[in-house]
Amino acid sequence: MSAEVEGGRRRWAAGVTPGARRVLYAFGAAAAVLAVGSVLHPGFAAWSSLRVMLVVASFTGFVAAGQMLVVLVGGIDLSIPWVLNAAAIVLTTTSLGQTSRLPLAIAAALGLGALVGCVNGVGVAVLGVPAVVMTLGMDGVLQGLSLGLSKGLTCPSCGSYAPRPLRDLFVGRFLGIPAELLVWVGVALLVTVLLTLTTFGRRVYAVGVNANAAFLAGLPVRAVTIALYGLSGVFAAAAGIALVGYGGQPSLGLGDPYLFASIAAVVVGGVSILGGRGHYAGVVAGALTLVAIITFLQAQRVPEYARSIIYGLVILVILFTYGRDKAHD
Amino acid sequence: MGTPSTAPTTAHHAQTPEVDGFAVRASGVDRAFGGVQALRDASFAARPAEIHALAGENGAGKSTLIKVLCGLITADRGVVEIFGQQVRRVVEPAARRRLGVATAFQELSLLPDLTVAENLLLDDPPRGRLGLVRRARLVPEADAVLARFGVDYIDSRAVAGELSVAHRQIVELVRVLATRPRVLILDEPTAALPDRQVEWLSGHMRRLRDEGCCVIFTSHRWREIEALADRVTVFRNGTDVATRERISESEAVTLMSGRTFAGTYPEVFTIPIGDSALRVEDLRGGRLDGVSFELRRGEILGVGGLAGQGQRDLFLTLFGAQRAAAGRLAVDGTPVSIRRPRDAIRSGMGIAYVPEDRKAEGLLLELSTRDNIALATLWRRSTLGFVRRAAERSAVAGIVRQLRIGGGRSTSQAVATLSGGNQQKVLMARWLLTEARILLLFDVTRGVDAATKHDIYELVARLAAQGKAILYYSSETDEIANLCHRVLVLREGRIAASLPGPVGDAERIVAAAIREVPRA
Amino acid sequence: MHDPLTVTLRRLVAAPAFVGYAVLAATAAAYLVVYTTSLGHPPTSFDYLSILNTALPLVYVALGQSLVVLTGGIDLSVGGVMSLCIAITASTVDGPGAAAFGWVFAILALGAACGAVNGLIVARARIAPILTTLATLSVFSGLALRVLPVPGGSISTGVRTVLTNPNQPTGLLWLALAVGCWLALRRTRFGMRVFAVGSDERSAVAVGVPAAWVKVGVYTLSGLCSALAAVFFVSTTTAGDANAGQPFILTSIAAVVVGGVAFSGGRGSALGAIAGAFALTLVIDVLFFAGIDPLYQSLFQGLFLVVAVLLGTATALVSRRRRAAS
Repeated sequence: MSAEVEGGRRRWAAGVTPGARRVLYAFGAAAAVLAVGSVLHPGFAAWSSLRVMLVVASFTGFVAAGQMLVVLVGGIDLSIPWVLNAAAIVLTTTSLGQTSRLPLAIAAALGLGALVGCVNGVGVAVLGVPAVVMTLGMDGVLQGLSLGLSKGLTCPSCGSYAPRPLRDLFVGRFLGIPAELLVWVGVALLVTVLLTLTTFGRRVYAVGVNANAAFLAGLPVRAVTIALYGLSGVFAAAAGIALVGYGGQPSLGLGDPYLFASIAAVVVGGVSILGGRGHYAGVVAGALTLVAIITFLQAQRVPEYARSIIYGLVILVILFTYGRDKAHD
Repeated sequence: MGTPSTAPTTAHHAQTPEVDGFAVRASGVDRAFGGVQALRDASFAARPAEIHALAGENGAGKSTLIKVLCGLITADRGVVEIFGQQVRRVVEPAARRRLGVATAFQELSLLPDLTVAENLLLDDPPRGRLGLVRRARLVPEADAVLARFGVDYIDSRAVAGELSVAHRQIVELVRVLATRPRVLILDEPTAALPDRQVEWLSGHMRRLRDEGCCVIFTSHRWREIEALADRVTVFRNGTDVATRERISESEAVTLMSGRTFAGTYPEVFTIPIGDSALRVEDLRGGRLDGVSFELRRGEILGVGGLAGQGQRDLFLTLFGAQRAAAGRLAVDGTPVSIRRPRDAIRSGMGIAYVPEDRKAEGLLLELSTRDNIALATLWRRSTLGFVRRAAERSAVAGIVRQLRIGGGRSTSQAVATLSGGNQQKVLMARWLLTEARILLLFDVTRGVDAATKHDIYELVARLAAQGKAILYYSSETDEIANLCHRVLVLREGRIAASLPGPVGDAERIVAAAIREVPRA
Repeated sequence: MHDPLTVTLRRLVAAPAFVGYAVLAATAAAYLVVYTTSLGHPPTSFDYLSILNTALPLVYVALGQSLVVLTGGIDLSVGGVMSLCIAITASTVDGPGAAAFGWVFAILALGAACGAVNGLIVARARIAPILTTLATLSVFSGLALRVLPVPGGSISTGVRTVLTNPNQPTGLLWLALAVGCWLALRRTRFGMRVFAVGSDERSAVAVGVPAAWVKVGVYTLSGLCSALAAVFFVSTTTAGDANAGQPFILTSIAAVVVGGVAFSGGRGSALGAIAGAFALTLVIDVLFFAGIDPLYQSLFQGLFLVVAVLLGTATALVSRRRRAAS
């Protein structure tokens, strides 16, 4: 009882809603990391460096968008790594490096993401399989299919490159901003508008706060859940497409670091792991914070093992600050 | 009233150090949850060998006081003493046993996945060699404990979560009685119990009192308080307002609510009753075993019966929240098929459902009042998927005004900050916005203060006068007896009787519920 | 209709670990069929011993994971703790005689300590288990890399003979130990409290269960199990790899789920998870002997997982309906 009342108190006590406050914390964390970085490494937060970090953060930003949508209804998506990887492979093998085949390739990759996501959603919402298990299973299924069908990425068409226009996303600039960032801004706007201005968004938050009550109010809880997992698949696929545009070719294990990154960005961004609370703006800040930490550690020439340790410790510190469960007393 | 307390007669408990003669004492206690001040300079004192009742509306602070007294939560300010010893927070079972305080909570604290035996013996299971628990002895020893308290109808092998609410309450009470407490605290112990078990519990409470135990209990039912308590403390708004040996019911109502009431129900029997709004034929599913009835426009149809006879299943099945195994429904004369709440809403039904644990299925406590009210009609105020904010604001404001949803608080604040009564009104507001023609009201006055109850009665009468068809259930049979045109009495999932209203005396409903139903 | 056979069968089906046993039986049958068909003779005792020794690490990790899941939590850091302990084992437990065993005990203590850190953060700082263990996974994996940057190292033959002897079924003793520990735990008040906390934490606290310490306890035990699994692993593979613990995260969750332990907590048996661990180990062999391209391995493991869970849900539904009707 106390947790809900506490949330209520915060809502009217502050002029700033707790949701906005958490977004501010997330940006605060990003600013703090950038500040520390600039002190120890002059030029760390300069635009040229920031620009690179933002581009790298955009990949996390995409997967974190999907993860956030699923977490908002109390679920989780552990299939991100191989949806990402499979989409990347599908993109290059469908397009075969040709610009004319790019739209088809993108449609195929995103379609794959949507399909897998919907399968996840059906498993979780209709069949009652716990989200951890369902998405974990699908991750395995996709891994097997990707490895098997591409014969370990040695198939004839696997050597193709991503088509030119896709690679240009990272080269081109509008007013000094790489096209990729504009895509991310588009995604951010889309997600934010979806969640705050549409009836669908209202339903998402309602289901996240109390799915039973939402059901009794006539909301289509299952359909909402399936749609969210579907969107998560689409965003994971989008990240795969972007990554293959960035790197030129897909590789095996491309998606592995992005599972932890997606969850961390979501949590650092102030989204509650239990559902019902959170905004994408915070997640954007979260993604940037994570990438800033890694970039900083690389700039300091910290060896890989230490990077891993420090990364984990920083996440813990951030969680201590504002990621705790407010249980009563 | 109960017999006046005398000095403790037997030496059942070793050394009862009586500091100032009190077993339990709280002085000047404050406690807040978030922004709500649950206890405000509250004081309370109970003696050994006494049955002390704690009376008050829900939200008056009784449950919070109990949690502070038994050491489950700390007070922000003030002192709590048990036999003269100050307590703050006591979690360890050993420490609690030493204090001799046992508490049975309103939100039952049985562990649903454990068996009855495991629940009863969790603190001190039977041990064998090597200090390991002898699982084979769990059931026999649990049975022995149950038998000691005269409970022979509960199987200790049963999984606790699968028992009925009444049986779970009994197990909870046995668990607590078995610790031979010096202080026994019971929070709404009789809420879920049928009369026979209330007798059983009263007997044990008196026995403990005679053995020197201090028994503290809360109840809504004035008759029980009169019959059992040696002294009564009335709480209102988080503080104690009176402690007496005898309080009449009307005086108590005044003390609890702070104002005097005519205490009458609105006149509903002059409302004209129209055509059939809802016809139910042979509905089966859950505990329902063939229910047929007709609900008409302007009618308030009550659903009575002992607890757990299918009332809940009836409401949820009608609304499509539970699957019907068989049966036919017709709305306004047209047959309908209702498989989920959306179908029900489209047929013009609305449900305001307040469950026994009050939180699970009604409101979305973390969302704003406005969001809660607008929830069932989002599609009405959406253009191409976007919410029309202005329309929503005015629609909500309108209904808030109409229902006098109080507090003067902005509707963008979390609904959790509202009082219980206002929360129930928010729930009803949601369905009024859908312009539902058939309203299923399930226990909407549960946990509501007297003033708001009155408002809700008036509202129900007004809605009936507007031609809405209302199916009404309340855990307080008195309401059904006085507010309904007709009362259907359920027993074992079927309609045992249909009493024309006003029934007047709730006893008649209970009597009809107990009488045997001839098997069709 | 209450003859002993029906009653026993009914009780067996209702047991929470039933799905685990059923899946194991089915997988074992598939293994026998596929092996015999492809090699022309049934599996030898060498094959059985090899399966036992290969499965032992997962058995222990699954045991630890079950305890955590029973309280309604999850431990993703098992991969990290295991990697760290593998790294230390391969680096230090290669000397002669008693010193090697001394190191083993030190490693077990380290594993328990890592688990305790998880438990303290989850219980006292109240950070969600999935987040806590994800972060500590990163920390422990990093430490593993520090200890053993490149795969290598070895294990003393003395230790190896005792733990996963390739010629004698000493592994059976360790399996019996795992089973025995679970049965013993089930018969302690702590064990009952684990189920209580998983069933309904608030109620458990209200009746006086020290939920925080129970949680610290299960995570500590999980860490200890991961350490044990690590030692067994190095003993079987005779070399160390700081990334070797990673796959155990998912397989331990899979084993727990296949074994019928409910994710919401409060229900299930580690014996089911142990059966699930064997089933998962066997699946790999089944795929191998059936001639399926190893690249497709994850596909089958993923399907296996989902199908097993669906089976479990279906069984639970059926048994609940039967109980309601009776």
